[in-house]
Amino acid sequence: MKLEVLDREYMYPGHVACPGCGAAIAMRFLLKTLGEKVIMVLPACCWSVIAGPYPQSTLKIPVIHSAFETGGAVATGVRAALDIQGDTETMVVTWAGDGGTFDIGFQALSGAVERNENFIYVCYDNEAYMNTGVQRSSSTPYGAWTTTTPGREWKKMRKKNIVEALVAHRIPYAATANIAFPEDLVTKVKKARDTKGSRFLHIFATCPTGWRIPSEMSVRIARMAVQTNIFPLYEVEDGVRYTINYKPKEFPVKEYFHLQGRFQHLTDEDLDHIQDMVNEDWQLLLRKAGERTP
Amino acid sequence: MKRVLEGSQAVAEAVRLSRVAVISAYPITPQTHIVETLSDFCAQGKMNARFLRVESEHSALASLIGAATTGVRAFTATSGQGLALMHEVLHWTSGARLPIVMAEVNRALAPGWNIWIDQTDSLAQRDTGWIQFYCESGQEVLDTVIQSYRLGEEVNMPVMVVLDAFFLSHTYEPVDVPEQEEVDRFLPPFVPKFKADPAAPCAFGPLVPPAAYMEMRHSMAQAMEEALRCYPAMEEAFEGLFGRRYGMVEAVHCEGSDIVLVTTGTVTSTCRQVLEELRGKGEKVGLLKLRMFRPFPTDEIRRHLGGAKKVAVIDRNFSFGASGIFAQEIRAALCNEPGHPPVFGFVAGIGGRDVTADTLKGIYEHVKAKESPDRESVWVGLQEVRNEA
Amino acid sequence: MEKRNDTAKTSLLILPRTFTSTEANKTGSWRYLRPRYEEKTSPCSNACPAGEDIARIEMLAEEGLFKEAWETILRENPFPAICGRVCFHPCEGRCNRKEFDEAVAIHQIERFLADTARKNDSKPVIVGRNEKRPEKIAIAGAGPAGLAAAYFLTRLGYGCEIFEAREEAGGILRWGIPPYRLPLDVLQAEIARIQDLGIPIRTGTPLGPSFLSEARGKYAAVFLGCGHSRPRGLGIPGEDLEGVEEGLPFLASIRRGDMPKISGPVAVVGGGNSAVDVARSVARLGGESWILYRRRREDMPAFETEILQALEEGVKIRELLAPVRLERKNGRFVFTLQPMRVDGKDVDGRGRIVPDGDVETMEFAKVFKAIGEEAGEDWYRPPAEDRDVLRLSNCTVSMKPGLPVLVYGGDLAASLKSVVHAVASAKEGAIALDILFREGRENLSGGLLKCRVGEGPSLSMEIHLGGPRGRRSSHIVSYSEINADYFQMAPRITQPRLLPEERLKGFDEIDLRISANLAIREAGRCFNCGLCNQCDNCFLFCPDMSIHRGEGGTDRWIDYDYCKGCGLCAAECPRNAMVLEEEKGS
Repeated sequence: MKLEVLDREYMYPGHVACPGCGAAIAMRFLLKTLGEKVIMVLPACCWSVIAGPYPQSTLKIPVIHSAFETGGAVATGVRAALDIQGDTETMVVTWAGDGGTFDIGFQALSGAVERNENFIYVCYDNEAYMNTGVQRSSSTPYGAWTTTTPGREWKKMRKKNIVEALVAHRIPYAATANIAFPEDLVTKVKKARDTKGSRFLHIFATCPTGWRIPSEMSVRIARMAVQTNIFPLYEVEDGVRYTINYKPKEFPVKEYFHLQGRFQHLTDEDLDHIQDMVNEDWQLLLRKAGERTP
Repeated sequence: MKRVLEGSQAVAEAVRLSRVAVISAYPITPQTHIVETLSDFCAQGKMNARFLRVESEHSALASLIGAATTGVRAFTATSGQGLALMHEVLHWTSGARLPIVMAEVNRALAPGWNIWIDQTDSLAQRDTGWIQFYCESGQEVLDTVIQSYRLGEEVNMPVMVVLDAFFLSHTYEPVDVPEQEEVDRFLPPFVPKFKADPAAPCAFGPLVPPAAYMEMRHSMAQAMEEALRCYPAMEEAFEGLFGRRYGMVEAVHCEGSDIVLVTTGTVTSTCRQVLEELRGKGEKVGLLKLRMFRPFPTDEIRRHLGGAKKVAVIDRNFSFGASGIFAQEIRAALCNEPGHPPVFGFVAGIGGRDVTADTLKGIYEHVKAKESPDRESVWVGLQEVRNEA
Repeated sequence: MEKRNDTAKTSLLILPRTFTSTEANKTGSWRYLRPRYEEKTSPCSNACPAGEDIARIEMLAEEGLFKEAWETILRENPFPAICGRVCFHPCEGRCNRKEFDEAVAIHQIERFLADTARKNDSKPVIVGRNEKRPEKIAIAGAGPAGLAAAYFLTRLGYGCEIFEAREEAGGILRWGIPPYRLPLDVLQAEIARIQDLGIPIRTGTPLGPSFLSEARGKYAAVFLGCGHSRPRGLGIPGEDLEGVEEGLPFLASIRRGDMPKISGPVAVVGGGNSAVDVARSVARLGGESWILYRRRREDMPAFETEILQALEEGVKIRELLAPVRLERKNGRFVFTLQPMRVDGKDVDGRGRIVPDGDVETMEFAKVFKAIGEEAGEDWYRPPAEDRDVLRLSNCTVSMKPGLPVLVYGGDLAASLKSVVHAVASAKEGAIALDILFREGRENLSGGLLKCRVGEGPSLSMEIHLGGPRGRRSSHIVSYSEINADYFQMAPRITQPRLLPEERLKGFDEIDLRISANLAIREAGRCFNCGLCNQCDNCFLFCPDMSIHRGEGGTDRWIDYDYCKGCGLCAAECPRNAMVLEEEKGS
């Protein structure tokens, strides 16, 4: 595929992401779209490590590492400081994992978005606390094994719908994206770049280590999440205008689950139940987007 | 120009005069008058600053981490619970070497809810790497905020300017508010030694392995020592422009006194009165006002207390299982001095209870009557409590 | 104002702030799997007897590089305009796209490219060897095999001379295929391009059996591509009655421009392409065509599309009817026919037929025999295999002492009688001669093996000439190795074609040209199995910035200093142009 992105890299090789890391791919796409006029706020997440141990940095942009729960707040301050210095060109981007977004950082994110702070918040979602060793987050999907939902205690709650939570703030732009759909991802990063106020990108980023899949399957699994409607690609403008960007053939969810070690314990009944939930969510989304539902 | 100002307003005037660019705060009694006044200044264009109305104290300081790393002068104010919530970010600020200044209105910690003066909130943060000043008056608050930016920026450490809830934050006093040009002469525009800049990209606060972390912490320790060294020159410059000086500590009749009372904050003013009264009666009593708590001015304390026969420290705070925190620190400062005086610890005025002249006189009489302390801390003015259960 | 921020104090500032990159970490040491670029063989190119580089051709066509695509065909086949029309395209039968939706319309794109080149009067750059060889080669027959042999041998540096018995070149293409399938001007343009290489074609020059021994002094080799022209008889009473005609001469007369008026029912005996051609020509001339075939319709050797078109045009087919005798009564032919039925299987896998009940008769105004031909002269036939005679896939090479090297090609030796097999035999013969002359007889088998497209038997002249195609692995890409997620369902183009009633009005070509837009879209359906089309997936999905591209994005290499071997590049290659292997020594 040909991506309309800058023919430059804003990441150095030699970073310590696991082989096949979806979050590394997502970062690369983001920066190749945004370019160098970016200050990045990086609350605790896998990327706190990937970004490089002192004295190394793997990113060619300035990065402000921050406390776990402060992604929305630190960016607020950076933006204010840039504005007061007359720099309206440099973009502020918070790059956080699902823990730092859905859980511990949700308050600061909600606050920043309620204030409509002028920044892009990107959540790369690998569906658990991966950096600390695969513990459950509120982004962990129903049915998943993690080190804190082991054995029969696999997660019995649904994944939090973070985009809807932000849409409830009437955020000017919120979108889902996926590493397996780079063109869509790049389009959304550009749209986010060109929107004023708070912008939220929820990027599905496979974690081969935590999901117990071979590294070369990283992109395929991400693609399947979209193809099965587990992770639909859509965007919402001003909290009201929904657009579904990709209409999949709605493959059954089974294979997606079968391929991943974290779901190996699920029975056919469990998968049927999950299929029902996925269908229900999809119908709900279709209704919001004003699409015909069966 | 002399104006009658609340302590909170004095803080706000100082922030304005310091040309702070980004203010971020979350309201909490009794800090609210500070942020309200600053909001007004920003709204009226009296200040060219962004006021960030964040959703928590944690975010208030976190947002300033972002702002200060991006190269601007930053300010916040909080109190009690709010400071406790900030705790993590307090460490982050000093570790990131950001010279942020905070006004911290001492407030008691819940439960039960208590909005009145108690120093435990700020003293609980003594190890977070912030410079701390405890102020006595509206004028001192104003001056200290301005001085804090200069000192903090010189050594790249954050500064907490502490004032008593209500007794100082809500009390009107005449305050000499200097002209902007005068302040500019003392405090030039902020030139950050480092900042996040796309033209010179680097990462701030990355993972630091054991091989490098310790040196960074040692650098912070050195910066605190440097603050002690820089302080006199800073204050000399301040005095040259404004005619006022405070010292890291202020010694009143310490020399030749048998008993020296050690105080902080507004209790000091009451103590000054008591001192005059007692000395009028021929008592050999002095007063040491402790203003700078971090870095701890050990040498100054030894110099002024080393000659006394007894020292009495009045703490409006308590470290549970130990003693009043100032008393602890002063004991620690003196213990390596041969023949140092015994240190009596008194805990008074907790949770906003008055520390009156009589309270202080009672303490003096207690110390005078004893050769050495019976125990580390004496709680002053405790009332009998009938246990309903 | 005092000076601030002086350096002495700044030196105290030891910050958690980075000042170098992660490039010092050679994360390639983590790797236990090693990705590597390796282009592979597409099944279509393997299925093409001429070994055309179809995956590359479609790639170029999709990019609108029509001339380059056409030249890529010409590397392996001198007749794109002809094969685009009359080839039975076995390539499409092996197309991986078939498993996804429908096979790519390879032959239509081939024809489009050839027609476009002709329309633009394009002069191809024909890749060949620069140095001339001393050996001269005579070619007997200017049919597809002979022309192609001259084309390949000339490119290899050999001087060639073609001898053709008839008055014009083209062989079966000129005389045996009706104009509605292959217009004359198309054929002539293809022949002219071969002549433009400086190859003399001596028409009206039949050769006799003595030629082989006489040629010895002048020619190092003779390529025999004389075709099959002697009709095989039905072996029934009455087959030589006046008015019972052979199919091929009838087709030749149409080619000459004769348009005999035919009316009434006409029998065409046979099931091959010639029978269908005759039947369809008869229909165009006003007759009512009946194809009589002794086996089942599905056993007919004629191409299925030809049969379907014949049916559209009103041709009737009677299957399982064996000719018994022909009689003439009242100016009409009475054909006695034996109904047959299938009983078991013949050795060739087709149903064995046995008589089934009583004979029947049918009356016809005219009868054509079109059951196939054999070699016109006995000396055309390849000798039996011995120490000096080597049977290859599509030709036979005789290296008997005292004679020039003889290559029997085309219909004389090919595994199947088709134009593309004629090309295949010519190429095989040309490469065989080249190896013989340059490297000696002992290297013949090995040399031929090296030119195979995939597992063969089709051969590539580009590989023989040392072109980049030779770097591809012989592994033939299967559908399961295609990352189908990168392809969208898209229907195959339908061939625009004259309506049956329009077709019957004359001998105009019935398949119409497709537009460039359609051709590009159709070429875009190609998976380009095994080839890198610079889609950038490997580059884009590399989490470690370890895929590098050269100037213009054409060249790619992997930086093994940093590649962790995650395998995403290989897994996300849509077309299996990479491999992932276990790291050696780890």
